[in-house]
Amino acid sequence: MKTLSKKFLAGTAVAAAMLTGSIGTLLAQDKPVIATVVKISGIPWFDRMSTGVQAFAEANPDVVASQSGPATADSAQQLQIIQDLVAKGVSALAVVPMDPAVLEGTLKRAMERGIVVVTHEADNQINTQADVEAFDNADYGAALNERLAKCMNNEGKWTTFVGSLGSRTHMQWVGAGEENAKKYSGMQLVDPNNESFDDANGTYEKAKEILRKHPDIKGFQTSAGNDVLGVGRAIDEAGLSGKICLVGTGLPNPSADLLETGAITAIGFWDPQKAGMAMNAVAKLLIEKKELTDGMDLGVEGYNKVAVKKGAGEGLLIIGNGMVLADKATYKDYLF
Amino acid sequence: MQKAGGQLVMLVAINGLLLVLGAAISGGSFLSLFNLQSMASQLPEIGLLAIGVMLAMCAGNGGIDLSGIALANLSGVLSAVIVSAFISSGESETAFSLAFIFGALAIGFLGGVINGLLISKLNITPILCTLGTQMAFMGLAIVVSGGKAVMVGSPALLSSIGNDMFLAVPISFLLFVIVAGLIAAVLKFTPYGLWLMLMGTNPKAAVYAGFPKTGVLVATYAISGLLSGLAGIIIAARNVNVKFDYGSSYLLIAILIAVMAGVKPEGGYGRVVCVVLSAVALQLMSSLLNFGGLSNFVRDFAWGLLLLTFLAVGRYDLTGFLFPGIRQTVSSVPVPHAPKQDN
Repeated sequence: MKTLSKKFLAGTAVAAAMLTGSIGTLLAQDKPVIATVVKISGIPWFDRMSTGVQAFAEANPDVVASQSGPATADSAQQLQIIQDLVAKGVSALAVVPMDPAVLEGTLKRAMERGIVVVTHEADNQINTQADVEAFDNADYGAALNERLAKCMNNEGKWTTFVGSLGSRTHMQWVGAGEENAKKYSGMQLVDPNNESFDDANGTYEKAKEILRKHPDIKGFQTSAGNDVLGVGRAIDEAGLSGKICLVGTGLPNPSADLLETGAITAIGFWDPQKAGMAMNAVAKLLIEKKELTDGMDLGVEGYNKVAVKKGAGEGLLIIGNGMVLADKATYKDYLF
Repeated sequence: MQKAGGQLVMLVAINGLLLVLGAAISGGSFLSLFNLQSMASQLPEIGLLAIGVMLAMCAGNGGIDLSGIALANLSGVLSAVIVSAFISSGESETAFSLAFIFGALAIGFLGGVINGLLISKLNITPILCTLGTQMAFMGLAIVVSGGKAVMVGSPALLSSIGNDMFLAVPISFLLFVIVAGLIAAVLKFTPYGLWLMLMGTNPKAAVYAGFPKTGVLVATYAISGLLSGLAGIIIAARNVNVKFDYGSSYLLIAILIAVMAGVKPEGGYGRVVCVVLSAVALQLMSSLLNFGGLSNFVRDFAWGLLLLTFLAVGRYDLTGFLFPGIRQTVSSVPVPHAPKQDN
């Protein structure tokens, strides 16, 4: 028994010492600290964002920039990380809120302590100094549709998919798409706003129905991240790759196969790497008490001429032009 | 008895160690008043839920309460929806706060009573029953809120529960300590406490001894529900908004805290003071890692390590080895002895 406990104690001591060592190296610096807090760590989207935060830290040696996030997708866990960072006394928080409403109280307390607060993907956040959005939703929807129209030679039947009818951004995207399609008299919208619930299988079934109902359909514009995969698979299995056009929001890695076969014409997204850099750039400007002006250059690709508006609360809404449309030829530049 | 004392000593030691460690690596800022306050105000939500889990575990017969956080969210959401329909939080702040608090506690209590009745009257296994009610509570919260966050706002009284200090101690933390003390006292000094522990030790014997089994079970889950309601109030007070899916990770953490506190999963033993200290230890460790900027996956790892340490303490006489003095005093207690309500 005694030897066992001794071994156990020794093991614990070694583990504790290692832990202390690794923590110690990460602390103690006088430079302003910008802490990026994401919705969840360890998923491709936010791993990509952390490369942006790292790049920003390397380009700006006068600040310390790091990224953290909860291990589980729970707004309560994100909240605790933010509270601890506030207590630690960081200079700025760059937050991608899991749930903007839940963070309001804590972000308000952080700002009252003089901490700079910047958010992303939260244009309804009230307690923030600046919310950075990658693009204007209407511009994005129009751009997707323009790419679709080009592929369809500006004529033929087309339809749209949204994650759900309650999803505000998705409805804005397809709405702008419909507006854009009115430019071309040959384009005929049929059965619009199919709900996909971001489920690739459900979307696949739905797309097959549409293909049966409208054998002469020429185009699909989709919104939720998995829609291109479902619709793409339906097109691919029907042997119509390259004959039917499909443009929608999607991520390069999962879409790679279908882009190669031609089932997906193009995917649209914004690069979280650049968004992370832009958030940190805004935070740094705010720490230095510089003014954010309409049309200014954040020094990040896609954010060279940002629109600055009044946000949901006291803060500003900063809109970049960070949309990326990638097709078979270009998706390899953005593998994440 | 021996195990019990050891657990308490071990928990105190771990807490002390974490504080020293934190001070060492942060150059003292970990022990700054503001951080202590910040950690203290993060604690109550999960601490209250863990005490609820402890009570359910003590009842024995596989007792557990999985519905805690779902019920806490439901209390906040439903109470906010109902109360805002009648009173505006901006105009009559105190009336709104009081009505909200009362509503949340009532809903929590009711949810707990439902759990207790299902388990005692229909003899449903607690883990299945509370899993079911957890989903039902969450579903109801989604329906009444339409899946969106519900605004509670910060009317004076609620806002002071969430944000203000009394003698430099966050009010929410004071509330938590008072409630924990109250429950500890109930367990120690009332017949209910004795019944609960004895019933957990041997349910069959308890029935033959004429214990009010149904009453004890319903009361246990009702208290657990009441604690959930209180947690819902504190969540609302701190976050301004309440939402159905807040704290989905709390479910397992609450159980982890209870087990780490030496609560017997098979029933019959658990001390409130250990649960409080165990919750404090988890909070300290999690804040420590956030201070160090380490990945949150390290935190899960560290929590697992801590849990295994405590299980080892229970299994092997590690405390006796660490603190020989205690072992001597403890071993002078005559064994065997009847199970006592040890709170």
